[in-house]
Amino acid sequence: MPLLKRNAPQFFVFFFLVAMAVATLFVGDMPLAGLVGDALVRLFMNGVMVLSLVPMLSAGVGVNYGLPIGLLAGLLGMCVAVNYRLGGIAGFAGAILVAVLIGLIFGYAYARVSRRVKGHEEITGLFVGCSAVFIMCFFWNVAPFTNPEMLWIIGGGGLRPTIGLESTFGKVLNDLGTFNVGGIQIPLAGLSFFGALCLLLSLYLHTRSGRAMAAVGESETFAFFSGINVGKYKTIAVVQSTVIAAVGICVYAQSYGFIELYNAPLMMAFPAASAILLGGSTGKRASVIHVLVGTSLFQTAYVFSGPLANSLLVPELSEILRVIISSSIILYALIYAGEGKSA
Amino acid sequence: MTSVLRLERISKSFGPYRVLKSVDLVVDAGEIHGLVGENGSGKTTLLNIIMGHPAIQESGGYSGDILLDGRRVEMKSPQDAIQAGLGMVHQEFALLPGLTAAQNIKLGRENLHPFARRLLGESLAYVDRARDRAEAGAILRRLGIELDTSIKCGNLAVNLKQYVELAREIGRSGLRVLILDEPTAALDREDAHRLMPLIQKLACQGIGIIFVSHRLEEVLEICHRITVLRDGEVVADLDQGDGDLNLDAVARAMIGRSVVEMKRKGNSPVGTVFMKFQDFAVDMPGEMIRNFSLEISQGEILGVAGLSGHGKLALGYGLMGAYPTRGRVLVDDRELDNTCSSKVLAKDICFLPDERRCSGLLLDRSLVENIVFTAAQHKHKFLRLHLGPLSMINWKSSREYARRSVEWFGIRCRDVYQQVGQLSGGNQQKVCLARAVALEPRVLVVAEPTRGVDIGAREAIFEALLRINQERGTTIICVSSDLADLKQICDRIVVMYEGEVFAELSSHSQDVEFSLALGGKRLADNAAS
Repeated sequence: MPLLKRNAPQFFVFFFLVAMAVATLFVGDMPLAGLVGDALVRLFMNGVMVLSLVPMLSAGVGVNYGLPIGLLAGLLGMCVAVNYRLGGIAGFAGAILVAVLIGLIFGYAYARVSRRVKGHEEITGLFVGCSAVFIMCFFWNVAPFTNPEMLWIIGGGGLRPTIGLESTFGKVLNDLGTFNVGGIQIPLAGLSFFGALCLLLSLYLHTRSGRAMAAVGESETFAFFSGINVGKYKTIAVVQSTVIAAVGICVYAQSYGFIELYNAPLMMAFPAASAILLGGSTGKRASVIHVLVGTSLFQTAYVFSGPLANSLLVPELSEILRVIISSSIILYALIYAGEGKSA
Repeated sequence: MTSVLRLERISKSFGPYRVLKSVDLVVDAGEIHGLVGENGSGKTTLLNIIMGHPAIQESGGYSGDILLDGRRVEMKSPQDAIQAGLGMVHQEFALLPGLTAAQNIKLGRENLHPFARRLLGESLAYVDRARDRAEAGAILRRLGIELDTSIKCGNLAVNLKQYVELAREIGRSGLRVLILDEPTAALDREDAHRLMPLIQKLACQGIGIIFVSHRLEEVLEICHRITVLRDGEVVADLDQGDGDLNLDAVARAMIGRSVVEMKRKGNSPVGTVFMKFQDFAVDMPGEMIRNFSLEISQGEILGVAGLSGHGKLALGYGLMGAYPTRGRVLVDDRELDNTCSSKVLAKDICFLPDERRCSGLLLDRSLVENIVFTAAQHKHKFLRLHLGPLSMINWKSSREYARRSVEWFGIRCRDVYQQVGQLSGGNQQKVCLARAVALEPRVLVVAEPTRGVDIGAREAIFEALLRINQERGTTIICVSSDLADLKQICDRIVVMYEGEVFAELSSHSQDVEFSLALGGKRLADNAAS
């Protein structure tokens, strides 16, 4: 297949980006350096969640539309940290530790479900994610947290939909070691944290276990006749994805400055999925490179389109554009994957 | 008699491969015309052309003429064929399991309530189910079957499904030609036997019948004429009246060439019996093994032959535990635990499946990755930093090994980093073998090693198999539907028939003996009858 057709979404978004960058030069009062800095922040802020899709894609379980399950584990972890008023780096580390532990349990349960629906993991993940979000809505209402900062002001029971992190670990990664190069703020700690996770996962994919997982994704029968326990590796992949997603929401929330509960995790799988598909993953194979390329393109486009659309066109248009772009990329990838099968 | 269906110079190519070369076939009204040929001889393609199968149009159509009642017709789709009065009973049932027998039989031509039809039109009218049931029952009675037509097809026994399938085709008015593609493949001997008079009865009603079957004795029993296809050409057109129509003549025409010279250089020293199959049974759909009992000696090359559906393919799959098995396999007098494929590999038994491209290779990966994959997973070879599952692959030693393998097997590739998917079929098979050899297996089970490879590559694969056997003392079990292959390299060949070991022959046995055994007959039986 010709390069242009196969990589159409990448080219499209890339040219879109170039066009926007040119436009910013002509539209007055657009702080280019500031926008680039914002793009870097958004890269690591969303990158970890995108990275969490890699294990499941590698193992052939498909795009993890059940991402909210991992996010819920992360939210629980952060709530525990906030409840005990853990601040700064310690608070962030504590939140991640609890998030990972809960992620392991949630991930295992999710894997059990997903193992039973061989071949329909994606659509099942979507519904498992949806139901988990609403089951947790009950939990947020009755959870025995005691820190008044987290609870409804009136009544004093049940968690608020948004919990501020200013007094605990909000922006710890964003602010740590950030330095200025030519007016661009480089968030060193955040980027390093994201980079380290990328490196670890990439190393794992090159181990014996990682190779076996990739083989399961490529051909289950091949893996079976090579003596690989297919079910085990799929379970490992789902647990890994869930745990990384749990870490991902912690990184996202500290940067955003708020924990968003209730319905918030519902729609978060789509931007992540479209970022990795944009990065060049075919929905069957994924690598860390796809994550880096995809997230950079997707998030930079987002950062640039906002202020531009607001000053050139109608305000609020940027959000609409973003949803259109992310949905159409997923749609394109689905159609393309279908073509690959029939050819 | 007048001919109902006449095929003239039908040719068909799939890409560069010519699968049918100017085939002529004439079916008279009331005639039962047998069509036989080995796997891959072009039978299915010919039937697909007649029935207007979409795959034919999609791959560029065919050349030649189809004449129905003397008029030239072109089948562009199955609907065309059906309207022209052609019907086909499929090898694998084309019935909807969730519908009743009556619904299946009357599908597409249901009786409609006349009032509702006038009110709502043809496609929305209410179906007169009582009449459908009665008519379906009547058709089945014509076949000599008494069946409650309100039973869902999914719940019917296999032989009854065959009758329902048949009833659906003959239930149509204006049926001119009926094609029966392996109608007895799913039936046991008795049921198959009962079907024969029905087919004859249909022929008496003036329908032309094309009868395709692997069971040669059936073909001989009921067919008036037999056309034998080999490599896409009609090699024989035998007539019942000629008197030269016997099993040997048909079998010889099918196989054609006398099998080539032995390539095995003397028998390698065959050691003691170390592996025993005892009442081994595999529940693989369509390839069931009912009872496989055999002793295997160290260092021998054993061939397993059989027609498709008779269980030969299930041997490797069953051994690895891919399907439920019964009975026992003893290796060194210890029972083999095949609940998990890694336990079988731990016993140094390796299986290369027939689906080479999707089950034997990682097509998107390089030669190196493919060759070392199983050994790295299983034998902990080609690893560095021994950290259990977190060990890294040692690319240096892998590369060295892959290069040696490429040389040893004579794999033609750009370099060891080329994607396996880009190699030719023969070279891909050699990569599979190299991957197996890296495991240093004691027993190597290969299924259809030469399927889809050209003649030259075929010899190279045999050479590789013989070298593995001779230089490493590996016991090889070779499963193949190509008799010539097996006769060329095997010490002995077992023939599977209906899921059981039917005969054990040496590679010196006559061709006729083989083709009889494939059909479940022995030389003596045939002579006696």
